[in-house]
Amino acid sequence: MPQNEAESGVTETIGPDEEFDPIGTLTLIGIYFVILVLAWVYIYYIEFLGRDLVVVG
Amino acid sequence: MSDAIEAEQSFVDKFPQEARVVRAALLSSFFALTLGAVFGIVQTLHRTDVARIIPSTDYYTVLTAHGVFMVISFTIFFLVGLFTWAVTRSLDRPLIDIRITWTWYAIMAVGMTMTGVSILAGFFPALDMSADVLFTFYAPLQAHPMFYAGLAVFIVGSWIAGADWFRTFLAWKRDHPDERIPLQTFMVLTTMAMWYIASSAVAASVLIFLLPWSLGFIDQVNPTLTRTLFWFFGHPVVYFWLMPAYLLWYTVLPKIAGGRLFSDPLARVVFVLFLLLSTPVGIHHQYLDPGIAEGFKFISMTNTMFLLLPSLLTAFTVVASVEYGARQRGGTGLLGWLTDLPWRDPAFTGMMLAGLMFAAGGFSGMVNAGMNINYMIHNTIWVPGHFHLTVGTAVALTFMAATYWIWPQISNKPIYSRSIGLFQVVVWFIGMALMSNAMHAQGIMGVPRRTAEPEYSGFEYATMFGGFEELNVQIAIGGTLLFVSTVLFIGNLVLTMGNPKVSGLAESLPPALSGPNDAPKVLDSLRLWVGIALTLVVLAYALPLAAIINRGGLLGPGVGTYPAWIAPTLDALAAAVTPLVGAIGKVAASLVGVIL
Amino acid sequence: MHIHAYEKLWLAASILLILLLIGSVTYGAVGPGVAMVTDSEQPIDAQALDEDDRFSEPRVEQVGDNEYAAYVVAYQFGFEPTPIVVPENSTVTFYITSRDVIHGFEVAGTNANTMVVPGEVSQITVETDDRQEYGLICNEYCGAGHHVMEGKVNVVSQAEFDDRNDGGDDA
Repeated sequence: MPQNEAESGVTETIGPDEEFDPIGTLTLIGIYFVILVLAWVYIYYIEFLGRDLVVVG
Repeated sequence: MSDAIEAEQSFVDKFPQEARVVRAALLSSFFALTLGAVFGIVQTLHRTDVARIIPSTDYYTVLTAHGVFMVISFTIFFLVGLFTWAVTRSLDRPLIDIRITWTWYAIMAVGMTMTGVSILAGFFPALDMSADVLFTFYAPLQAHPMFYAGLAVFIVGSWIAGADWFRTFLAWKRDHPDERIPLQTFMVLTTMAMWYIASSAVAASVLIFLLPWSLGFIDQVNPTLTRTLFWFFGHPVVYFWLMPAYLLWYTVLPKIAGGRLFSDPLARVVFVLFLLLSTPVGIHHQYLDPGIAEGFKFISMTNTMFLLLPSLLTAFTVVASVEYGARQRGGTGLLGWLTDLPWRDPAFTGMMLAGLMFAAGGFSGMVNAGMNINYMIHNTIWVPGHFHLTVGTAVALTFMAATYWIWPQISNKPIYSRSIGLFQVVVWFIGMALMSNAMHAQGIMGVPRRTAEPEYSGFEYATMFGGFEELNVQIAIGGTLLFVSTVLFIGNLVLTMGNPKVSGLAESLPPALSGPNDAPKVLDSLRLWVGIALTLVVLAYALPLAAIINRGGLLGPGVGTYPAWIAPTLDALAAAVTPLVGAIGKVAASLVGVIL
Repeated sequence: MHIHAYEKLWLAASILLILLLIGSVTYGAVGPGVAMVTDSEQPIDAQALDEDDRFSEPRVEQVGDNEYAAYVVAYQFGFEPTPIVVPENSTVTFYITSRDVIHGFEVAGTNANTMVVPGEVSQITVETDDRQEYGLICNEYCGAGHHVMEGKVNVVSQAEFDDRNDGGDDA
C-alpha cells in the first residue's frame, strides 16, 4: 500500500483556503443536495399526499 | 505493505496487553456477525419463499437472533475494541489497569451469552426457554428472564468500559494539563457520555419492570411506558453504532486516501451535536402510538430533523479530506481526482462504498422522520431497507474495511488476501444495493416487515416499482450476496490469523489540516455538553413520560402477560407448519454447542 | 474557529434542507390536514373489552350525516369484524384496540396505518373514495401466528352497505 509524503510528524497546520479549496467536494455534495430535494418533493407531495385514506382526524 | 522505517513499532509492539483486548473484542464481534449472517440468509430465503426450511413460527426465533446478534453484539463488541485501540493510541499510553479492562470484556461476554442462549433455546421446545420477542422486546410479549438479565449485564459491562477509558484519560490529563484532548479520545468520551444517558432508560425499564415481571414478581407492565423507555435508548443506539464509523471516517480514512483530516474542530462539533441531539428524539419511533400526544411527536420531529445536521456536515468534511488526499497524489480537475485514489485498497474502497450507501440511507431516514409521511411506511419493509443501508452498510461495511487496516497493526500479521478483501467489500455493496432497493420498493407497496410470510390469502399487492414476486427475487439474490461476502470476510480473517508475524506493519495517522488548536476551548468542556444534553433530554421526555404514567399507571391499565414461547394453539396454522425441523435443529445444536 | 467558505455554504444549504423538511411536514398537517394518531381516547382495560359497548360487538355503524364509526378489535391472530365494510365517499373513524398484545393496523397500499396497543384505543379518521377492496395487515409482530393475521377493509356502494346492515348479520 503506497505511503504518502505528508505523514512525517509535521505539526504545522496549513490553513485550508490558503492552499486547498475542496471544489470537487462542493460539486459532489451539490449534486447530492439536488437529488435529495427532488426525491423528497416526489415522495412527500406526490407519493404520500396522493395516496388513499389519508388520516385527517 | 508499509515502507516505513523498520524500527517503527506497531500498536501491538507498543501496547501488547491492550492489543490482546482489542483482538478479543473484535473476534467476539465477528463471531456474532457470523451467527447473525447464518440467520440472515435463512430469513431472506424464507421470507421471499425461495427456501422455507424451518416452520414459519420458528422464523421469529431466527429474527430475534439476527437482530440481537447483529445490532447489539456485533456492533458493540466492535466499538469497545476500536475505542480501546483509539484511546490507547491517541493518548499514547496504556490503560490504567488491564485487569479492569478484561473484567468489563468478560462481563459483556457473559451477558451476551446469557441473552444468546435464551434466544437460541427457542429452537428446542423441550427446553422451556425462549425469547421470541425480537430486538425491541415490546411488552406484553414476554421473554425468559435470562434474556433481560443478559442484556442488563451486557450494558453494565459497557458502562465499565467507558469508565475505564475516562479514568485513563484523566490520568493523561494530569500529565498534560494544558493540551487539547486528542481527537480520537474526544470522540470516545463524547460517544460514551451519550451512551450513559441513552442506555439508562432501557436499563431502568429492564431492571425495574421487565425482569421482575418475567420472574413473576409483578403481574403486568405498562406497554406504552416500556416501549417509550426502549425508544429513549433505541434512537441513540444507532449513533452508538455510527459514531465509531465516523471516528474511522474522520481519523483513518483520510490517511488511507493519502490525505489529512480537513478539519479537527468541525469533527469535534459534530460529535458534540450527537451528544446533545441523539437522545431527545426517540418518540419519532412512536409516531403512530395511541398513548402519546401529537404535540410531543411534533417536537420529536423537529429535533430529529436537526439531528441530520452533524451527518450532513460529516459528508462534507470527510469527502474534502479524501479530495485533499487525491490532489496530494496528483489528482486534478473538478471530479477527475476521484481516479487518483487507492481503490485497490479494500480498507479504502470499503469505507468509500459505505459512505456512499449512507448517503442513500440518509434519504430514507428523512422520510422515516417526517412524522405524517410515516403513515406510508411505518412497520413496512421500507424500514429494514433503510437500516440495512445505515447500520447494515455504513457501519458494518466500514467495520469490515477498517479491520483490513487495523488487524495487521494489532497482531503483526498481514492480511491473507487483499484481493479477496476488495472483492468482498464490492460484493457487499452490490448485494445490499439490490436487497435494500427492493425492500424500499416493497415497503411503498405496503409489504410489512418482521413477518415470516408477507403474502396474504385475502388480497394482492399493487404493482409499483416492480411486482411483489419480482422484488422478492431481488431481495433473495441481494441477501445471498451479503452472506457470501460475510463468509469471504470471516475466511480471510481466519486465514490472516494463521499468518506468521512480520515487522514493518506500523501505520501512523497524520495531523489534521486544521488542527485541534483551531477549535474553541469550550468544545472540550465535556461537563458543559453533558449538562446541556441532560437538559434537552428532560425537556423532551419529562412531560411525555409523566403523561404516559398518568394515563395508564406505572404498571399499566389492564393488560395480560403473553409469554412469547408458549405457542398458542396453531390449529388454524396447520397448513403453515412444515415438518422439516430436523435440519434447523442440527444447525442450531452445533451453534449452541459453540456458545456453551 | 476557521470554517472554510464552502463548508459554510454547505452548512447554510443543510439548514435550508432541514427547514424544507420541517416545512413540508407542517404543511401536511395544516393544508391537507393530516393528523397524527394521538391520545384522544381514554385508556381501557384490555381484559374487560366485553364491558365496553364499542368493543364487545365490533362493528361499523352510522354516527352522523355520511359519517361512520368502525369499532375494531385486534387479537392473536385476526381482526374483528372481518371484513370491515364501509361505504364509499364517506368519513369513517376507526377505533381500534387490542385484546392481548401490541398489533398493527395497516390498510395495505394506503396511508391508514396505526399501532394497536392493549389498554389504549387508536382513533383515526379517513375519507373513503370509490369502491375498492383493501387488504388489512397486522404489521407489528405479535407472536407465532403473526404472519397469518390479516383482514379486509372493503369500501362498498352506499346501497350495498345499507343492505348488509339492515338485512341482519354483520360480518
